[in-house]
Amino acid sequence: MAGMELANSPVVWLFASVIIILVLLQAVKFLTMSRKAANEVGLSRKDTNRAIKTGIITAIGPSVGIIIVAVSLISLIGNPLTMMRIGVIGSAPIESMGAQLSAETAGVSLSGEGLSPEVFNLIVWTLCIGGAGWMIFCFFATASLSKIQTKLTETSKGEYLLGVIASGAMIAVFGSLIGGEMLKGSPYIFTGVVAMLSSLIINYISDKKEIMWLKEWSLGFSILISLTAVYFFI
Amino acid sequence: MEQFRSNAHRWGRISLGLGILISFALPIYISFAMGYHPGFQMILSSLLTYGAVIGIVWFLEPIMYFPVLGVSGTYVAFFTGNISNMCLPAVASCQDAVGVAPGTDKGEVVGALGISAASLVNKIILIPVILAGLWLLTVIPESVQEVFPYVLPAIFGAVLAQFASKTPVYGLLALIIGILVNMAAIPLFAKNVLCIVILVAIMLFADSRKNKKYQNA
Repeated sequence: MAGMELANSPVVWLFASVIIILVLLQAVKFLTMSRKAANEVGLSRKDTNRAIKTGIITAIGPSVGIIIVAVSLISLIGNPLTMMRIGVIGSAPIESMGAQLSAETAGVSLSGEGLSPEVFNLIVWTLCIGGAGWMIFCFFATASLSKIQTKLTETSKGEYLLGVIASGAMIAVFGSLIGGEMLKGSPYIFTGVVAMLSSLIINYISDKKEIMWLKEWSLGFSILISLTAVYFFI
Repeated sequence: MEQFRSNAHRWGRISLGLGILISFALPIYISFAMGYHPGFQMILSSLLTYGAVIGIVWFLEPIMYFPVLGVSGTYVAFFTGNISNMCLPAVASCQDAVGVAPGTDKGEVVGALGISAASLVNKIILIPVILAGLWLLTVIPESVQEVFPYVLPAIFGAVLAQFASKTPVYGLLALIIGILVNMAAIPLFAKNVLCIVILVAIMLFADSRKNKKYQNA
C-alpha cells in the first residue's frame, strides 16, 4: 500500500469525520448554553441574535481565506487528514510545517516518492499529538485560569487591571500580526492599510448614522474591499 | 453566570477530552491495528522537532488569550482552531456590534455566542472544500487565487482598526510596536507576548499619570 492510499483510506476518513462531528456538536452545545446565559446577564433577544449574526458573517472571510492552504495540504497529506487537522485546533501553516518536519525526520521529501504508509503514519503521530497539545493544556488549565480571573476581579483594582489587559492584549496582538504581515512587502502593506481605512470608515458611518446592520458586516466588507483593491494593485 | 461557567467547564472538558482521545487513537490504530508503525524512536524525534518549534505556544496562547476569550470561548476556540484569524476577530466584532466590553460577563457571553456561530460556519464551508479538494483549484481563476495570500493582512488590519477606533493613539502605537518587534530577531512565539507586555505597560502607565493629574487638580 502506498502512503497516499493509506492517507485516503476509509479508516482515516472515519476518524476525521468523528472529530469534525464532535467540533460541530460542541459548537451547537455552546451556542445553546450561551443563549441561555445571555438571558441571565440581561442581554436582549435582539443583542443575542446580533452577536450570532456577526459571528456568522465574520467567519466567512477567514474560512474562505484558508481554502488555498487547505487544498495545497490535501496534495501532501490527503483529504481526510487535512480535514482533521485544519478543522480542529491548529492552522494551515502550522500543519504544513509539522508535516514537513516529520517527513524530514524520516529522511524523505513530503511531495516526493518516498511517502510510505509508515512515513504517513509518522506525520499522523506528529500532527495529531502536536494539535492535542493545546487541547490537553486547555483541558487542565482553563479552570485555574478562570479561578485566577475571578480572584483578580474581586477587587476594583483587579477588575480595572483585567479590563486594561483584555483590551490591550487584543490591540497589541493584532498590531503584532499586521506588523508581521506588512514586513512581507508592498502588496501586504497596501492591503493592510486599505483594510484599516475601510474598517475605520465603515465603523464611523455606522456609528454616526446608527446603521446597526453595517456594524455586523464591518469586517466582512473591509476584507472584501481591501482584497478587491489589492487585486488591481498587483 | 456561575451556572454558565460550570456548564462550560463540564462540556468543554467532555468535548476536548474526546478530541484528545481521537487524536491519539488514529495514529495508534494505524501503528498497531494496521501494522504501519514507524517506530517509537522516529515518533519521539519527530515530536521533539515539532515541540521545539510549537511546544511553547501550547501554553502561551491559551493564557494570553484567556482575558479576551473567557471560559467558554477558550474551550470552543482551542477545539475549532483558527484562533487569530477567525475566533479573535469574531469575538471582537460581536462585542463591538452589541456594544459590550471585553472581560465583562456580558462580553464573555456575547463572545461565546459569536465564536460558536463562527465555528459552525467555518466547518460548513470547510467540509465541502475538503471533499471537492484539488478539483477546486482548477475552477477558481488563477488571478483570484493570487489574492488569497492577502486575506491575512486584510483581516488583521480591519480588526486592529475596529479596536483602535475607540483609542486611536493606542491603535497606532500597537501598529508601530508590532512592526518594530517583528523586525527584531526574536523567536516567533515571543513576539505577540512581547507586544502585549509593552502595550499594556504603556496603557497602565498613561492611565496612572492621568489619574494623578486629576488628583492634583
